[in-house]
Amino acid sequence: MIRIGFRLALAYRSNILITCVTLVAQVFLLRMIWTSVYGARPAAGLPLEALLAYLTLANLQAFATHTIVVSTAHHRIRVGTVFFDLARPVGYLRQLASFQVGNTLGGLCLLAPVVPVVLLVGSITAPADGPGYLLTLVLGYVIAVELALLISLAGFWMTETSAVALFHRLVSQFFAGTMVPLTYFPGFLGVLAEALPFKYLGYVPAAVYVGQISDVSGAVAIAVAWVVGLAGLLVLTWSRARRRVVIQGG
Amino acid sequence: MVEVLRALRLYVLLQRASARGAMQYRLNTVIGILCGAVWQGTGFAFVWVVMTTFPSLAGWGLAEIAFLYGLRLTAHALAMIPMISVNDIQWVVREGEFDRFLLRPLNPLVQLMGNRMGIAQFGDLLVGVTLLAVAAQHAHVRWDVWLVAFCLAAIAGGALIEAAFFLALCSLALRMIDTFQLRVFVDDVFSKFGSYPMKIFGGVVEWVLTFALPVAFVAYVPASVVLGKLDSPWAPAAPVLGAGLIVLAYRIWRRQLDHYQSVGH
Repeated sequence: MIRIGFRLALAYRSNILITCVTLVAQVFLLRMIWTSVYGARPAAGLPLEALLAYLTLANLQAFATHTIVVSTAHHRIRVGTVFFDLARPVGYLRQLASFQVGNTLGGLCLLAPVVPVVLLVGSITAPADGPGYLLTLVLGYVIAVELALLISLAGFWMTETSAVALFHRLVSQFFAGTMVPLTYFPGFLGVLAEALPFKYLGYVPAAVYVGQISDVSGAVAIAVAWVVGLAGLLVLTWSRARRRVVIQGG
Repeated sequence: MVEVLRALRLYVLLQRASARGAMQYRLNTVIGILCGAVWQGTGFAFVWVVMTTFPSLAGWGLAEIAFLYGLRLTAHALAMIPMISVNDIQWVVREGEFDRFLLRPLNPLVQLMGNRMGIAQFGDLLVGVTLLAVAAQHAHVRWDVWLVAFCLAAIAGGALIEAAFFLALCSLALRMIDTFQLRVFVDDVFSKFGSYPMKIFGGVVEWVLTFALPVAFVAYVPASVVLGKLDSPWAPAAPVLGAGLIVLAYRIWRRQLDHYQSVGH
């Protein structure tokens, strides 16, 4: 499954190429907007250099950890080929997870040559806490995959998950803080963003990198709790879902 | 003229049929509109979040940016609601369905446009018009009949600019050149860079976005005129550009159509 996901990522190279150009454009836009607003009013909290590094990293991460497993699972449920997935001797969840990991690795290979360009257009500083960054990033990725798997499983009840998937993508990107660090979210929105798990996909690792979060232990503990909690929820949902399987056509 | 009126009448009939088709899946339609609205909503939420902390973006306040954003979005929605089904052109060509369009006694472009209705784009329209309405009251603008008329012309002009680029790129599919990804990219540039004051990009990029790919003319130039931020005597003529570009794009479409070779089966 890992290999299939990997190959799939490489098969749509032109697709990825345009997404890379879009990524560069996005980072450029953010850089210009933030430089402009910072120019009008000197930094409150984060210096501009660190902020730009944060935004560059957060966007690279969002791109690299983007999940496609929901749309693949949705498609296979819709046309009925999910039957073959279920008939295999390997667990369904494990198949989906391996597929996603392979796809991410394939995406990373294509992303690698673009990274210097993105860093040049954006900005980067030396990491304030390298190991902490990697640790929180991996945890964030696990949470992202778990959330994607949960939505994929929802397909066994809803059949049609494309709208939910799009909604999830928009909301998670917004609350991950890829465009605005969570510290600038005002009032209620800030409280909400702090409580949701999406911040571990973007804000937490990037903020650890630029040194805005200096003590990682608290963030790591809560991220691990999310990983375990979501894993439990996944197992529970799956045990219910497999009893509900309806194969379309046949 | 008679020909154009007839095409228009048939287009309305086709669109009414596709609207009726869309309403057969009512929930899906509602979700589609909501998705469009949420998509654009989160885009503007970014601006809002930034500007609660930093009140000025290159000298533009929140209400002024909202006006610019709303103007761009409304123009975009009005361009895409009728044009979105042209987006399917490479499939229509590849499946040989386009041959059928050529046999029917109606302009093939009109048939293509009438194929399906843009649903999510109504969500864009909803957010765009709301932003415009709210921002128009909060930005300090003294409204009169002429200014409102200019706004309407600007929206139409902006819609025509986006439609022109879209149509020109789509028409290359008639010669089996797949421009889908390129269209996604151009659309992305229009929506990302068209919704902010050009001044923040500075230098080369500002020049490119004004004269090479006229993103600035969709909303930035007209919004600057309305908000009294631009003194150039030429700026009020910005809406005319859209009319010129759409004529050019239609010419390109006709040219590509002359070279159309069926996939043959």
